[in-house]
This record gives sequence, C-alpha cells and structure tokens, in this order.
Amino acid sequence: MSEVKLDRVGKKYGAVQAVQQFDLTIREGEFLVLLGPSGCGKSTTLRMIAGLESITSGDLMIGGRRMNDVDPKDRGVAMVFQNYALYPHKTVFDNMAMALKLQKVPSAEIRDRVGRTAELLGLTEYLGRKPAALSGGQRQRVAIGRAIVRTPEVFLFDEPLSNLDAKLRVKMRMELQELHNRLGATSIYVTHDQVEAMTLADRIVIMNGGVVAQVGTPREVYDHPADEFVAGFIGSPAMNFLDLLRDDSGRWISACGGLALPALPFDAGRRRSIRLGIRPEHIRVTAGGAAGQAGTTYEARVLLDELLGADALLSLGIGEARLLARVGGVGHPVQGDTVAITLDPDQLHAFDPASGAALGRI
Amino acid sequence: MKTRPRLGLYALVILSVVISFLPIVWLVLTSLKTTEDIYAWPPQYLPDPFTLKNYVNIFTNSPELLLYVFNSFVVGVGTTAVSLALGGMAGYALSRLRMRRAGALMVFILAVSMFPPVSLLPSLFQNFLNLGLLNTYTGLIIAHTGLFLPFTVWMLASYFATLPAEIEEAARMDGMGFFRIFWSIVIPLSWPGFVATGLIVFIFSWNEFPLALVLMTQNAMRTAPVGISLYPGEYAFPWETISTATVIAIVPILVITAIFQKQIVGGLTAGAGK
Repeated sequence: MSEVKLDRVGKKYGAVQAVQQFDLTIREGEFLVLLGPSGCGKSTTLRMIAGLESITSGDLMIGGRRMNDVDPKDRGVAMVFQNYALYPHKTVFDNMAMALKLQKVPSAEIRDRVGRTAELLGLTEYLGRKPAALSGGQRQRVAIGRAIVRTPEVFLFDEPLSNLDAKLRVKMRMELQELHNRLGATSIYVTHDQVEAMTLADRIVIMNGGVVAQVGTPREVYDHPADEFVAGFIGSPAMNFLDLLRDDSGRWISACGGLALPALPFDAGRRRSIRLGIRPEHIRVTAGGAAGQAGTTYEARVLLDELLGADALLSLGIGEARLLARVGGVGHPVQGDTVAITLDPDQLHAFDPASGAALGRI
Repeated sequence: MKTRPRLGLYALVILSVVISFLPIVWLVLTSLKTTEDIYAWPPQYLPDPFTLKNYVNIFTNSPELLLYVFNSFVVGVGTTAVSLALGGMAGYALSRLRMRRAGALMVFILAVSMFPPVSLLPSLFQNFLNLGLLNTYTGLIIAHTGLFLPFTVWMLASYFATLPAEIEEAARMDGMGFFRIFWSIVIPLSWPGFVATGLIVFIFSWNEFPLALVLMTQNAMRTAPVGISLYPGEYAFPWETISTATVIAIVPILVITAIFQKQIVGGLTAGAGK
C-alpha cells in the first residue's frame, strides 16, 4: 500500500492539452474513482500513473518516490484493462504467473501465489484453460487475478466492467468492493459510469475537458456539485435545469414561463439571470391541481409517464418549461393528468449561467 | 431481396475461377497429350490417347528440371525467411513505436518498391559481380528480399495494427521489454499474418523472372521459371516439355497453398471484422 501523489501533472499531445494541472493526493488504501465523459482525460491520467504515457509536466510520486521516468514494471502498480488484455495463447495460470516469472520468482512460490489468488477469485478449476474458453466474467477475473498476484502497491483499473453485460456488471462491482475491503490496497479506478463511481469510491474525481471539475466523496458530489457540469453528470436521470430571470420586484421568473419563485436562498449577487438545478427525485408531485396553493407549489401537466418498476419517471410541463420527476411506481399520475409539484428550496441548486459555477447558499 | 446480389456474386466468382484456372487445366491436359495431339487441328480438348510419356521423358532427358525446382525452393524459402524476419521487425516498429513521420516512411517504402526490377538490373549485376554474389543462393535471396520487403512490411504492419494494443501494454506492465513483447506476444498472435505474407512472398520469389535470369547464369543455379523458359530451342518450341515442366514446377506451390489455405484467408481478411 502506498500513497500516490500527483503534483500539477499535465499531458500534452502536440498542441492539445489532454490533462491540465492534475493535483491530488490519493491516500493509502483509498479507493479513488476518476469519472467523466469520454475524452475528459481520465484514462490518460491513469495511464500516466501506470507509465504507459509519458508525463509532460508535473511530478508523480508513489510511496514518496518520484516515478515520472520509472519503467512501468518498477512502479509497484498493476493494471486491469477494459478489454481484459489477457495473453490469448497462454493458459490462465501462465497469464497470472507472467509477471512473477519475469521477476524470477521461484516456481514453487509462483505456483503457491497463483494458486491462492485463483482460489480467492474462484478460478482454480480454470487454471489450465486458455482465455478463449472462458466467459467474459471469468476473463475479467483472470485480469484482476493477474494484478493481485503481483501484490502491487497500487491497483489501476481502466473501465474494467464496461465490456460486461448489465447483470454481470452489478455482480462484478460487488465482487470488486469485497475484494477491496479484503486487500485494502490503494486503488485508482477509471469509469464513465456514475453508478460504479458512486458505489465503489471513497472519493470521486470528476473530470471535464482535461480539468478536474470536483473532488469529493460520493455524497459531496451528489449533494453539493461544484458546477453545472458535475450537477448534470452525477445523478440519473440527470438534473433538470431551468433558466430564471429576475424581475423588478426581485422575483425569479422562469424564462419559458409558468414558474415564478419568490426570493431564492442563493447568493446571486447582481446577476439578472441564474440557472436553477432540480434533481428529478427532489420534485414532489401530488395528484390534483395546485389551486389555492402558495409558495413554491405549481400546477403541471403530465406529458409522458414511464414506469421503471419501483419508480416512475414523469415528464412534466409547466408553461413552456419541461421538468423530469421521479416518483414512486405505485399509483403514480399518468399522461394527461394535472398535478401539483412542490420544489423544496433546500434541495435546489443554482449556477452562474455563464461560468456554470455553483452559487453559494445564503 | 438478398438472393439477387448473391447470385451475381456467385456468377462473378465462378467466372473468375474459370478464367484463372483455365490455363492451368489446359497446361495439365497438354502435358498428358501426345505431341501429335498437341498440334492437332481442330484442337483436341481431352488427351486421347492419354499418356505419361512426357513426364517419363522429362525425367530421363532433362533431369536438371529437378535441380531448377530445388533452386527455386531454396531461394523461395530463404527469401521468405529473411523477408519475414526483417519485415516483421520493421512493420512492428512502424505500427507500434510512436515514431515521427512513420506514415511518410511507409509511403517512402512503397515508393521504393515501385522501381521496375529491370531498371535495377545493370547496377545489381555489376555489384553482385564485384562481390562474388552471382550464381549464389545468397545473391538471389538478397535481390528477392529487396524486391519483396516493402510488400512484407506493409502487410505485417497492417496486421500488427489490428492487434489490440492493450495486450502489449499489459505485457509492459508485467515487465516485458520491447523485444520480448515482440517475440513472445506479437509473433504468436500474428501467426496467420506471417503465414499469409510468407506464402505470398514465397510465390512471388518462385515466379520472379528477370533477376533470376540475369543473376543466375550457370545452368546448375537456374530457378524453375528461367530453366523452363530456356527449353525452346532455335527451331523448335517443345510444348509438351514446357507444359510438363511447368506442371511439375507449380506442384510445390499448390501443395503448400493447400496446407496453409486457412491461414491465408484468415490473414488476408484479418481486421475486416471481429
């Protein structure tokens, strides 16, 4: 186990800055997830830590040692790849034993270590097979086993579950969690899947366009997104955004009508417009109209209802504005109903329309 | 909907098979005819009487044919081995090392291969004469390798490009060096590409004529195409000898192709889909 420290690490491909000023210390034993859309620089960052990409600027320290120019094999890191990257022409045993063989570990010890790892992952009976004779989940286990056998200081995962089908992905996610609890090794995990990020991470780093948008625990990034990008990226279905304009009396009016809010609990400064964020799960929907109700309750029409099982998603129309709400799946309003929706001021978010930065609460 | 283009495709395939196979069939039939039947008018399609006399004659009258075939074989195998070894390394470097101007280099290699071989002949001949490489296997292997190496590099580089880079990266993480990765990961995984490329190079070398004609002047060192082409005398054109010798000369290629056919198809279509 080791601490990994990235000190203003950057990567440039020609004129393109893929990663900018990545500054972060990953604590010993921490499970850190790098999350972001494709092309955000998360994989490049991981590959720089692995040693598969050179570092253009800044310093990478693992266990207190500068690793910028150290060979991948000497960094004490092991990596699990998206496409498993097993050696197709070698058996499961040889796949897992390769690193140890190259390190000239005595063969009795190799057999012992591979054997124990295979047992841990339920691969014992497959040791003599080649990867082609394994299922996707088993191959991914071999890839993980290959990393574990080396007892690395740091585990690196590059979207390891994205090739698996949905059901298997959930299962493997839980297995990874258990494994991390058992081994307690520092892990850095790249994904574009926010569910994986939320469930696995001690801390999440959300990246956008080569820049770190926010670092925080899953709770923090969900409850207090630092900007509009993070707010829209974390949470499924995504947060609703509404542009609001301030009228002369100080009220905030929806730019597309139907919604007028009294004073908002945000420090809007002198702004004439803000972007309001409301998560679908934070819109309270009650049957019947909103006649006679005051405050932050509005009348809305259900334009579309989608039953997901336990939950249902409602597309709501308030004037020209559209909001997506998540409600319980039993007896929910259906298409064509008129409903009342209530927005809890404590669960609203507000962003600067130009920069996207979250506005502070008053 | 789907049957119409299929039918057209089959027709096209049959047509091209017939067109490319007809000369070989004709050759085989000719080699089994008597001399009179070969020159018969109107032409006689099937050998009647059927005879193996031409084969008996060629082995008794000009046993050097076997030597020509053997020479072709040695040169072909040597050229293939050297081309695959050099072309494999060059192709791997060009497809995987992040080199500056790798693309330009590939085009340059292609451009070099566009020189007509005949234009190289005078200088090759003079240099080989000075170096004592005329009438040696080494000499013709060097010349053939020079001719076919660009093709080899291109074929293998595009094959390597279809291999998932992650496997090589995993090998790097495991602690393998560049040559180790090439030797114990890339070569085993590229086997079909090597077989297909090697076979094509072998056939090229087997059939190559101008360089073999000029660089191998002693009868004992001649390759099959050259040897066979020198059968016609000043006044006679012995069709039965030529066709029989040609059949004998293409047999090794047919056998090798049949053995490796699966790999050729796999190698030529690799990367087209999963």
